[in-house]
Amino acid sequence: MNNSEKIKVLYIDDEPNNLVGFKATFRFDYIVFIASNIEQAYNHLNANPDIRVIMCDQRMPDKTGSQFFEEMRGQYPLPVRMLITGYADIESVIDAVNKGHIFRYIKKPWTYIDIKSAIEEGNLYYSTNSLLEVKVKELQSAYEELGKFTYIITHDLRGPLVSVMGAIELAKSMDSIDELKELVGMMDAAIKKLDEFIKNTHEYYSIKRGMAGNEAINFNAIVADLEALFRIAGRMDNIRFTVNVNQTGSFYSDAMCIKIVLNNLLSNAFKYQRNTSVDKFVELDIDVADNNLQIVVRDNGIGIHNDHIENIFLMFYRATSEESGSGFGLYNVKDALNKINGTVEVNSIVNQGTTFKVLIPGKANGTK
Amino acid sequence: MAQNKKLHFIVIDDSKLDCFIAEKIIKSTGKCESIKSFLQAREALEFVSKATVDAQSQTIILVDIQMPVMNGFEFVEAFEKLPKDISTHYTIYIITSSINENDLDRVHNYSSVKQFLNKPLTSNNLAILLNND
Repeated sequence: MNNSEKIKVLYIDDEPNNLVGFKATFRFDYIVFIASNIEQAYNHLNANPDIRVIMCDQRMPDKTGSQFFEEMRGQYPLPVRMLITGYADIESVIDAVNKGHIFRYIKKPWTYIDIKSAIEEGNLYYSTNSLLEVKVKELQSAYEELGKFTYIITHDLRGPLVSVMGAIELAKSMDSIDELKELVGMMDAAIKKLDEFIKNTHEYYSIKRGMAGNEAINFNAIVADLEALFRIAGRMDNIRFTVNVNQTGSFYSDAMCIKIVLNNLLSNAFKYQRNTSVDKFVELDIDVADNNLQIVVRDNGIGIHNDHIENIFLMFYRATSEESGSGFGLYNVKDALNKINGTVEVNSIVNQGTTFKVLIPGKANGTK
Repeated sequence: MAQNKKLHFIVIDDSKLDCFIAEKIIKSTGKCESIKSFLQAREALEFVSKATVDAQSQTIILVDIQMPVMNGFEFVEAFEKLPKDISTHYTIYIITSSINENDLDRVHNYSSVKQFLNKPLTSNNLAILLNND
């Protein structure tokens, strides 16, 4: 066992001989800190917040061990507390248990086995508690997310559905085929919005789940797949799409995260075009050099106003009234980039266009 | 309000489909003198603050809550800051697909909001609203 894995133990006793004896006995098993008074004990705790087990003598000149435990517990709740005493004083035991919340009561003179087993069990208790704390935090953030999602489901998912319900009701009393066709066209858009939102939700959970992968990325194949999907969906109609892939050597990263980034940036570039523009274009440049990936997505669309630019990566933030935005896409981009240590910057001028520049460091082949 | 009096309507909703539905239903009541739809609340606010109002006329505003850039609540807050001689000619109804209690509770905080309506807007709901007016 190397030093970093050793359990840190603090032993407090006003008799120097006991301290020396303790340290000599356990210095190979644990990282031992010794203190002959309370002040020294606090110094150790401040300098080593990862001390896991504290053993304290009950009878000391300035304070009893149980008083010390009672007072330090608020500031340092994590270390496991054990009281050592030579006196079978029932009052002090009761105090130590009730006020100091001690884990073990060890009688002097102690044996190697007494202390060793107490520390091992204390350490197990400490690990379980720490794990519990981590889990509680995860659970809290999961609850917060759930709250956010429930809220979202009530409008972003319900909104298009309710629109279509209203449209169906209206259609029942419509006679003109032309009007009906117009209505069906709008219903189609509402349903597509709903579908996009559900797909984005799926992406969101895919990013959250599991560790980042490590696979060789074939950019030409990913771009070809995406292009085919956009083309089938009619998203690229009348938009000039140019792709430049410059790749020297292989690039390893999480393919799903990279697909999510490319998909959302391209999807936005195609979506937020100016209707009146005669020469609509979207450019995608992918450069891989020295195990670094740079993706640039450039369009000459509606652009993003300065007031909104710092908020565009926030969840459910929408900077435009363009009907099919879910407020989810760029949040997922940011989230996916966080997972693979990527960064993104954006430059935009209203009515001239937007450029997103993404940098992603590659993983060394085979490392996890 | 007299039953036979004609009303003006303003619909504010970022969904084209919802605007379309609202327009059709409003027109079908036969009480509609004019109707204007806005996909952006900011444009509607601009319109309301600059429109010349006929002292006798009354305009009903139907506004959605969830909209990008300026949402329904922000619209209502800005509307309440308009001069009284403008705002008095308008009645605001919030129309929403939200079933979130916080959103619905918040509606009561605005004195200018008469009530909220659930989407989808139907001829029945609108008729009840106009008759109660």
